[in-house]
Amino acid sequence: MSPREPRRSPGEPEWTPVPKPATIAAIPAARQASLDVREDLRQGREPFGRIMGALDALGADRVLVLRAPFEPVPLYRVLARRGFASWTERRADDDWSVWIYRELTTPVASETPTRPHPVRPASVRLDVRGLEPPTPLVRVLDRLDTLAPGEVLEVLHDRRPLFLYPQLDDRGFAHETDEPEPGLVRIRIHRADPHT
Amino acid sequence: MIAGSPPPGRGPSVLLPLAYLILASVAFLVAALGLPWIATELAGHYYHPHLLALTHTIALGWITLAIMGASYQLVPIVLERRIWSARLGRWQLVVLVVGVVGLVAHFWIGQWRGLLWAAGLIGLGALLHLLNIGRSLRRQGDAVQPLGRTLSAGGFVLGLAGLGLTVAFGLTLAANRLAGFLPIDPFTAVAAHFHLALLGWVAPMVVGVAARAYPMFLLAPESGGWQGRVQLWGLAIGAPVLAGSLLAGSARGMVAGAVAVAIALGVHAGCIVGMARGRRRPSLDWGLRFVLTGTAYLAPAIALGLGLVTRVVSGPHVALAYGVLALGGWVSLTIVGMMLKIVPFLVWYRVYAGRAGREPVPTLAQLTWPAMEQAAYLLLAGAPLALAVAVGVAIPVWICTAGTVLAGGAVAFAAALSHVLWHLVPSRAGRAAAAAGARA
Repeated sequence: MSPREPRRSPGEPEWTPVPKPATIAAIPAARQASLDVREDLRQGREPFGRIMGALDALGADRVLVLRAPFEPVPLYRVLARRGFASWTERRADDDWSVWIYRELTTPVASETPTRPHPVRPASVRLDVRGLEPPTPLVRVLDRLDTLAPGEVLEVLHDRRPLFLYPQLDDRGFAHETDEPEPGLVRIRIHRADPHT
Repeated sequence: MIAGSPPPGRGPSVLLPLAYLILASVAFLVAALGLPWIATELAGHYYHPHLLALTHTIALGWITLAIMGASYQLVPIVLERRIWSARLGRWQLVVLVVGVVGLVAHFWIGQWRGLLWAAGLIGLGALLHLLNIGRSLRRQGDAVQPLGRTLSAGGFVLGLAGLGLTVAFGLTLAANRLAGFLPIDPFTAVAAHFHLALLGWVAPMVVGVAARAYPMFLLAPESGGWQGRVQLWGLAIGAPVLAGSLLAGSARGMVAGAVAVAIALGVHAGCIVGMARGRRRPSLDWGLRFVLTGTAYLAPAIALGLGLVTRVVSGPHVALAYGVLALGGWVSLTIVGMMLKIVPFLVWYRVYAGRAGREPVPTLAQLTWPAMEQAAYLLLAGAPLALAVAVGVAIPVWICTAGTVLAGGAVAFAAALSHVLWHLVPSRAGRAAAAAGARA
């Protein structure tokens, strides 16, 4: 994200406003973190590291409100890769707010704000169906190092990968397997809690 | 939907199937190298001590050890079941190797008394295999889904039943050698024993593995449904009916059993052709070419088998040619092809899986030696057909020539496998990983 970077690539659609998602509309101010990078960009400083640092420190049930002087389109791909969703608000032509959050599993009941929100960790999907062994195994192992704490790697597989499980156990990852439909095996992988 | 995670612990054993497959390859090499030396005997009647020794080197040393070794890898992959006891599998291998060496040696020297203890050891080894795989298939505590009625599971169960019957009948024949209590002629008994082994044990295992492993390698849709049922029921009914009718001397029963088997294996071949045509994989590696070529051998083997049972053709030379097409063509080329797929995976997993994702590692293709695999294919693909023709016309020089070509192919196959196995040596693995890092 740089002030010299084009804000929107040629051919990309113009920004159009969308309603604020209910999931973040219900999050109280106490659980909102703010990060204003407008001054950094005006001074010619790269704010990417600050943004990633704020995201790393972001609790699972919190939202980060990022202020920028333009719509940070390239950032969206980075957020998606890290399992974050976002909603963008244009306050003025040179004042944008991007609400960055992890998706909730169930709609938040606004009338019960004191109840803890059931939160599903950010999930990254990896589809290895139709690949010849050991390519699925390699793809999953390659992805593990970049798996953030709390992030879940959801692997879609043709079969139950018995050769993968010991590798996950050795590397300190927990995993659950189910079969949502015949012929589709889903493995959810996340860093194991060191205290368990 | 049944949820569950396997308990933490050791994964499928890699060295266990590798040990079986390496020893099976040694048996294949020994049998192939021996072919030119017994060309004269191959031009005679099949009921010759040296030919019985050769047949059992192939059937037990090569084919049975290869299938058992592949089972110890494919049961976890294809049927998603953990092996009940790897230790039992190791003891089973020791017992079987001693038994096979003893059996082949006693056939070779024509000592029937010693044959009995060797056959007993093989029976014990087969019993251990039935126990181990049977218990592995029954374990469902950590499984995603029950074993179900898949073609793969059906093939494995049918094959295990066939193994039990084949070994029990073989032990009976060995005992009959000494006591002479069976009122059947030895040629008929050998034919029944051969068909129980081929159609009761080997064929269902090939069908079961093919149903899931071939689509995995060809990147093709799996077959099943009515085609799977025809394959299983055809073999389940045809093999015992054919063997029983041979013993009972029932010509109609033999024809009925043979037709049922021919339909089953014909549908099996049709499914594989369908997979090959519908595959998403753009090019075939040498392992898959071996598998498909082996499947093509089903056509002449079935034709000759039906010709023998309907007495369109007859005689010991034609029977031997039929055996060469079935064991040397269909089964052996299929096993060679599967080994060229399975062994590199096992070695890669053993040496490099723990490093994958942490540092650059060689790909599976970088473990193999395609030029040597190609040489093996060029020599082995047509050699069983040439050998079948040679034994059919019973000309020793032709047999010696075809046998030499086949032996050359077996040497090339062994060299290609050795190239892969070399990665098990730590210094070689380190150099390969460093080379992968440099490429990355």
